[in-house]
Amino acid sequence: MKHKLSVMMFSWEFPPRVIGGISPHVFFLSKSLAKNGVKVYVVTCDFPGAPAHEVIDGVDVYRIDSYKNPAPDFATWVYLMNLNMQKEAAAIANKLAGKIDVFHAHDWLVATAGIGLKHVFRKPLLVTIHSTEMGRRDGLHTNTEKMIHETEAWLTYEAWRVICCSDYMVSHVRWAFGLPEDKLVMVPNGVNPQVYESIEKEDLKSFRAKFALPEEKIVLYVGRLVYEKGIHILINAVPKVLEKVDAKFIIVGSGYMKEQLLNIVRSMKLEHKVLFLGFVDDETLLKLQKCADVSVVPSLFEPFGIVALEAMAAKSPVVVSDTGGLSEIVDHDLTGVKVYPNNPDSLAWGIAKILLDENYKSHIRENAYRKVQEKYDWEKIAQQTKQIYEAVLGEYSKSFWA
Amino acid sequence: MHVIIFSWEYPPRVVGHLAEYINALSTQLVKNKVETHVVTYHDFLTGAVEEASGVKVVRVANPVRTHIGVLTWDLTLNQEVERAAASIYYQANKQIDLIDVYDWHFIPAAVTLKNALDVPFVYSVESLESHRSPTADTPYNMSIKSIEWLGFYEAKKVSAKSEWMRNEVVRIYNVPKEKIEVISPNTNSWVKDVLDLYKTVAGGLSSQ
Repeated sequence: MKHKLSVMMFSWEFPPRVIGGISPHVFFLSKSLAKNGVKVYVVTCDFPGAPAHEVIDGVDVYRIDSYKNPAPDFATWVYLMNLNMQKEAAAIANKLAGKIDVFHAHDWLVATAGIGLKHVFRKPLLVTIHSTEMGRRDGLHTNTEKMIHETEAWLTYEAWRVICCSDYMVSHVRWAFGLPEDKLVMVPNGVNPQVYESIEKEDLKSFRAKFALPEEKIVLYVGRLVYEKGIHILINAVPKVLEKVDAKFIIVGSGYMKEQLLNIVRSMKLEHKVLFLGFVDDETLLKLQKCADVSVVPSLFEPFGIVALEAMAAKSPVVVSDTGGLSEIVDHDLTGVKVYPNNPDSLAWGIAKILLDENYKSHIRENAYRKVQEKYDWEKIAQQTKQIYEAVLGEYSKSFWA
Repeated sequence: MHVIIFSWEYPPRVVGHLAEYINALSTQLVKNKVETHVVTYHDFLTGAVEEASGVKVVRVANPVRTHIGVLTWDLTLNQEVERAAASIYYQANKQIDLIDVYDWHFIPAAVTLKNALDVPFVYSVESLESHRSPTADTPYNMSIKSIEWLGFYEAKKVSAKSEWMRNEVVRIYNVPKEKIEVISPNTNSWVKDVLDLYKTVAGGLSSQ
């Protein structure tokens, strides 16, 4: 390899297109890889107003025509979009004349593009599995779900290495697709504490006053209002917390459960204690996380749990349900409080424990912040990822494709 | 000359008349000293088979077994077609002159191979979605039409079996008439016409 180690990454979302967690993940990973001497080309879907090609901190970002004719359904659209992504990525890689060393795909949403280009250019393919259809749907019930599951299995089969962001996901993916152990590798998801430092010295008193009374503690939830996130557990815990401590519950995010949740709050006559904000802009979110006395992640299924990590980076103590990736991020009584999943009493106990004990609260905060810096730093994650690329290329160099 | 033919049917898998046509054409090509690979679909007879006539056939199956429609089936199967063609390409020391694609099914694979490896392709039209489903304009039909459009746009040449079809391609997809050759299997010059078309397409994209 005479040139700089080069990777072409496929992701169906990249800022400013943000749908879920893959977008910020690929954004920070690619930038940190570039900082560590890796040439990164990101191929992603187009977005109104975003340029078809731009360079962000050394990362070449290409936004492709994501197939805008009406498609029969979401899954069929994904494969049609992949046809376009593959075609445009093929031309980009062709122009680079052999300079791409590895392809790296994120989730099944870019599976066929990644698989196709691997064989056409005969370069190794890596995949990060952020989430599985089995986990999202709690089983496989329809043909669409089975098809997506089989596509995920095919993608992991074609990949040289499968990266997962938590030990929980490593074992889940290994079981779900029957993969050999040495094919899987855990690299945590990262968080960027610097973004919170920028508002460190700002006086947030007047900002806070817009959401809560001075005597009210702020309990923050950030996430979609869907069943798997366990938001209904938090709502059911509200009166139990209020028995012990005065608090305002701020709910950021939207989802199909919203009306149902509002009805529960109304029936409890606690509209003045629970505030549904819907989606908020990035700056408001950062400030809310900074102001929060406690951040709650009550998920029932959680592959990783980036929200908990963001709260820890913002120095807001966390209460999480002891499940999935959350179990690994939080050490009970050290970097947060773990409670029983699907249990409002346990959740209320955890929230009150933090809100009623200032010493305990600051102890948790400091430990959590240190853990974020030590384990979930993008710089370190990029170095680990680069080492995986190098290891794969070492094995590849001995194959007949090289 | 070395040619790869993409066809979604080939004996023993016979759906319409295309299977027999590809069989006859590939046999004639080999007789005329064209090295010929056929990449086709078969669920149970997968793997390379050396045919008695000298035509090398690669049959691929779909790794994804559950589908919600023809499009998802087709677009996943294309990756296997692409993999098989890339494998032929590398085994032939990258000396593939062109790919001849029959109908829309494997257009996606041909488009990627062209953009990635500079192997040109001929789009051989058997029928069009507008004729197969004349009154339907659902997202499903539109998706197939958009794949047909992509094929006409990316192909170096188009071949049609009649003057009528040539005019239909011009009418429906606005393809320049001179991009389309009429090659009828019912004339004596059939094989010669195909070989002439291949000769104009071979030589890579640089001559475009």
